[in-house]
Amino acid sequence: METLGYLIDGFGVALAPHNLMFALIGAFLGTLIGALPGLGPANGVAILIPLAFTLGLPPETALIMLTSVYAGAMYGGRISSILLNIPGDEPAMMTCLDGYPMAQKGKAAEALAISAIASFMGSLIATIGLILLAPLLAKFALTFGPAEYFALFVLAFATLGGITGKNPVKTILAAAIGLMIATVGIDSTGTQRYTFGVLELYEGVDFIIAIVGLFAISELLFFIESRAGGGKGPMKVNKLSLSWKEIGSIFPTTLRGGVLGFISGVLPGAGASLGSFISYTLEKKVLGSKGRFGEGDPRGVAAPEAGNNGASSGALVPMLTLGVPGSGTTAVLLALLISMNITPGPMMFTQNADIVWGVIAALLVGNFLLLLLNIPLVGIFVKLLSVPPKYLLPIVTMVAFVGIYSISNSAFDLYFMVAFGVAGYILRKLEIPLVPIILGLLLGPEMEKNLGHALTISNGEWSVLWSSGLSITLWALAIIGLVLPVVVGPVLRRRMRAAQENVD
Amino acid sequence: MKCNDRVFGLLMLVLAVAYGWGATQFPEPFGGGEAIGPETFPFLLAVVLALSSLYLIVKPDPGSKWPPMRTGLELLIAVVVLIAYVLLLQPLGFIITTTLAVGTLCWRMGAAPIRAYVTGLIAGIVVYFLFTIGLDLSLPLGVLSVLEGS
Repeated sequence: METLGYLIDGFGVALAPHNLMFALIGAFLGTLIGALPGLGPANGVAILIPLAFTLGLPPETALIMLTSVYAGAMYGGRISSILLNIPGDEPAMMTCLDGYPMAQKGKAAEALAISAIASFMGSLIATIGLILLAPLLAKFALTFGPAEYFALFVLAFATLGGITGKNPVKTILAAAIGLMIATVGIDSTGTQRYTFGVLELYEGVDFIIAIVGLFAISELLFFIESRAGGGKGPMKVNKLSLSWKEIGSIFPTTLRGGVLGFISGVLPGAGASLGSFISYTLEKKVLGSKGRFGEGDPRGVAAPEAGNNGASSGALVPMLTLGVPGSGTTAVLLALLISMNITPGPMMFTQNADIVWGVIAALLVGNFLLLLLNIPLVGIFVKLLSVPPKYLLPIVTMVAFVGIYSISNSAFDLYFMVAFGVAGYILRKLEIPLVPIILGLLLGPEMEKNLGHALTISNGEWSVLWSSGLSITLWALAIIGLVLPVVVGPVLRRRMRAAQENVD
Repeated sequence: MKCNDRVFGLLMLVLAVAYGWGATQFPEPFGGGEAIGPETFPFLLAVVLALSSLYLIVKPDPGSKWPPMRTGLELLIAVVVLIAYVLLLQPLGFIITTTLAVGTLCWRMGAAPIRAYVTGLIAGIVVYFLFTIGLDLSLPLGVLSVLEGS
């Protein structure tokens, strides 16, 4: 019952008027960002991080705002899936399958409302799961020694590509690059490493700059290359007519989807894409011929939506309890925590209980706000979205610049950001994933510290890293995480594509 | 187009070697003799990077196409605009540089020039007042500071 008390305190934090206001702003901005093609949740949160700093927000408010952005961005991705059959990000792919047919039948508003309700249910279920599971996992994590943590970090990198990932070697390569960037600066022994005598590098590379550069600026360059500046076609939304009976009929679907999504969110390497895919496939199996999947069945919208929102809340479990994020967006949220001097991990549940539970409560509040925001305001969102990216993206980029500039007041940081942007563009062209680079930057110092502690305890004996049962398990999982995508990945990807093509 | 990965792998291999060599050049930390020095972790990373770039050289993926010359030029313009923005931010002030940068980017992304620069001007003014009055953060006014009459 201790947990319940914390949760009530958490709601106290999340429902404080100013926090509620920032949650609302976050949900609104997030929806907008998520709806822009290509600008997924990770990018959205990254662009808004400088804003959180410039506003001088206290940590819990900043986190609440950004979790709302996260939830909003997940939701915003659906608008273009449903109205235009263009998924805003990968997990939204499955929503196209029944969402677009519904829109074609003139039921776009219903599809959007159902996806909002299903998202809310998915997050609700996953948040309950998070509340139950996180304290247990945090307690368990207290038994981890430095060697186990080192193995855990390796596991995080190994599974980051996800089971649907393409080339695990590129994930490793990217992780190594990120970790190498993290070693720049003065280390714990006072040695200067790779600073080349440049004063600005003494404190290392600021990961906020790296994140905004890699994500936001490379996105601008991609837009220019694809000449997508003109924006999307006209979008129309009918007047909503949804009965309680219809809402009731998707209820069991959202329940199943939420649970499945949560599980795939918590498990390393599964993630939101798999969550929405599994939920959709299961729903199709369960309902069999009773459903009209692929032709605009509301349950076909509800299942993947509940699944992927369940997964995105589930992904917070490893991030909050172990300090090891399982997805790009949670990695960006981790960046925010670290830069606010909060070390995620088991200790956070005792030391910063108000923040942890405030964020958990904010997830629920944020999703509820989205539900309220989206059903009446969807028309406004659709209008705002018809502002072509050729106007929107340059402005967004400049806001990111100014955000960074107003924190540091240093032109050096801005040049660095442009350089990261160009590098991000080239790496994405080469299909090198960017998230492991970010994660490497974030986890590098901790990883080195744990390696150091483990080796100091063992007097330099490297075998200490795989001497306990737990660490051996973690290493084994890491190896499976690397090998499995090579074996199973192509099959899964083909199935997802096949499901997509059946509709077209 | 397999040369993409090959060239990148080669570059990363060079980086790995340079990085590893760099680690040997660290001065011995004061009091030395610890189980792990400042060079241990970098060595490990250099090995990982070298191995994975070797793999890329041996087994490259079919790469994606690079943009044609014209698009490449547009990209270059965008990068130059961003660099120029940083360069001119202090001397010209936020509103003017933002007008120029946002305007140029919008224009190059396909907006009509006048609309593009008007968008830039409006964005510059709105963001300036949002930051200075709303958030109480100082942004450089640059040459426009004469308007303040101080």
